[in-house]
Amino acid sequence: MMKPAAEEKLGDRLISDWVSGAHLRFASDEARERYQARARLIVDTIRLQDTGKIPVIPAATQKFALDYEGVTFREAMTEFDKAFAAYVRQYEDTDFDAWVGPEFIFPAGMFEALAWKRVRLPGVDLPGDKSFQFVEAEYMKADEYDEYLDDPSDWVLRKYLPRLSPKLEPLAQLPPLRNMLVFHQGLPDLVLAAAENPGVVEAMAALKASGEAVQEWYEYLGRLDQDLGGRLGIPHLLGAIAAAPFDIISTYYRGWRGAIVDMYTRPEKMKALMERLLPWQLQYGIDGAKALGHPIVAVYLYKGADGLMSDEQYEEFYWPTLKRLLLGLVEEGLLVWVFTQGKYDSRLHHFKEIPAGTCLIHLESGTDALHAKEVLAGSQCIEGNVSSALLATASVDEVEAYCLRLAEVCGEGGGFMMDFSAFLDEARRENVKKMIEVAKRYGRQETAPPPLP
Amino acid sequence: MPHELRDAIVGLRMDEALALARGMVGDGTDPLAIIAEGSEAMQAIGRRYADGEAFIPELIMGGEIMRSLSAEVLPEGGGPNAGNSKGTVVIGTVQGDIHDIGKDIVALMLGIDGYTVHDLGTDVPVESFVAAVREHDPDIVALSGLLTLAFGAMQSTVEGIAAAGLRDQVRIMIGGAAVDENVRAYTGADGWGDDVSHAVKLAEEWTGGGA
Repeated sequence: MMKPAAEEKLGDRLISDWVSGAHLRFASDEARERYQARARLIVDTIRLQDTGKIPVIPAATQKFALDYEGVTFREAMTEFDKAFAAYVRQYEDTDFDAWVGPEFIFPAGMFEALAWKRVRLPGVDLPGDKSFQFVEAEYMKADEYDEYLDDPSDWVLRKYLPRLSPKLEPLAQLPPLRNMLVFHQGLPDLVLAAAENPGVVEAMAALKASGEAVQEWYEYLGRLDQDLGGRLGIPHLLGAIAAAPFDIISTYYRGWRGAIVDMYTRPEKMKALMERLLPWQLQYGIDGAKALGHPIVAVYLYKGADGLMSDEQYEEFYWPTLKRLLLGLVEEGLLVWVFTQGKYDSRLHHFKEIPAGTCLIHLESGTDALHAKEVLAGSQCIEGNVSSALLATASVDEVEAYCLRLAEVCGEGGGFMMDFSAFLDEARRENVKKMIEVAKRYGRQETAPPPLP
Repeated sequence: MPHELRDAIVGLRMDEALALARGMVGDGTDPLAIIAEGSEAMQAIGRRYADGEAFIPELIMGGEIMRSLSAEVLPEGGGPNAGNSKGTVVIGTVQGDIHDIGKDIVALMLGIDGYTVHDLGTDVPVESFVAAVREHDPDIVALSGLLTLAFGAMQSTVEGIAAAGLRDQVRIMIGGAAVDENVRAYTGADGWGDDVSHAVKLAEEWTGGGA
């Protein structure tokens, strides 16, 4: 009798599917081979195998890509065909081993249908050639922890959403959904609130309009994946996303100032909320990985950088739930792209507490990559660090010298990928190409870019 | 009760600090003396920050306490820095960038350090910087920006100030996590910093206010 395949983890299956490109229709055998070689190299490098090669990945290309077709951020958020053309041209012209970029540009219609307050949009609030930006504010009040902990969905529906969107303010008029559990009067109460408040119907219409923009946008991202993956043989590096509980509170709910005040004045409430958020984030990452068929879950880190809090605060407030999130994802066999933002030197040693060869740790330019290699060699793969300022303002020779040093030190023995420091906007093309060339030369990889159609 | 208020602020005990301040007002203490003690506490926090012993949360929490304290004890419009000024600073986040925390902390600490600070906010157009330089005749213009997209706007702002014939009257500093000497050269600024203590140190060097 065959043994049940119960020991295969979710991540093992997803890795095998992703590396084979099971979700793509390949335009040629050459594209398939190129795709599979790149995806395999990325997984092997995260697994800390000494492949003798240095993959080159993009943290994300944004204005850098759009400039290939002279597309503004505003246009990229509204006319997806233009963005599509720009991204295709950029990835045809630059020999990256993976692609990332337009996922974070978002459709303007998604925000505009709801008059979403958390963003300032290009072409509306900002010049059309600037990226949209998040507005961090206090969307949860200091005295609402108990209310949130008591009934999170109710708080989200009747407090959070109305604060984020004037179009959703009528939702605040709904009775608590939990009343449906109380007795038979729950139903008439709920439907009456909808009938008596035309705003509720308008709120639903606004949600629908927002959703339609997302549908169109997802369709475009799917086509882009097919073209970059299936035709050019470039794997998509970004899969599902999960977030550190402290970042959710400090970035999305309370704002950083609010979160800091809470650390001093109501630490226990804050910790209780992080405990509540942790299993949801874990499940969100796992479900997303399944839905996308992608083994790499990205966790973008915001407020834990050096200087943003003391070591003691990091160890008390930030790391415990982040660690359990990472362990939970790794337990499922998933790989985690931990995207540190800001200077992270003093925190890196914590990633040794996660099983070796499971995380890809992104480093910004403020973090000392050579020190990171020293700390994390044999534990986790590192990537990034090539400064956006260097790529935007320095000479090709300076870029070459910097990248060579990185390749020599960090590339030693594997566990390193070449990447820039942050989402790429302003950068000289020749500098980016030099960064790529150094990695490929050092790793003795073939440098031929994919043939143009 | 010598320095009880200062100790409470340095210890970041908001409720205690406010209760002490209320008590001092009740006892007839000059509000400006209360604020002066608060500023002393903030300077102590700032020194600990510069020495790597305190972090941004201490600065922000200290700032929050000072804000509440000022609201509690000062009449409308009274600033914590009504006395001698070390110099005047016009500060803002450049056009196209709405990040405010770094800029706010620098503005707070320059104010605590004795500068008169005019904060123009975020996403500030070149013309607004130029107008503020004309209006306030500052010693220093501080341009903040987190995004690499801000480099171009920093450069345009420096150029705008020059085009208005005001470049020789001010020293310009740029600040943000992504700036460095290359960016300073690119923008034409006079100095750069990637954290608040650099900004304060630079200001003191430029105005001769440093220790």
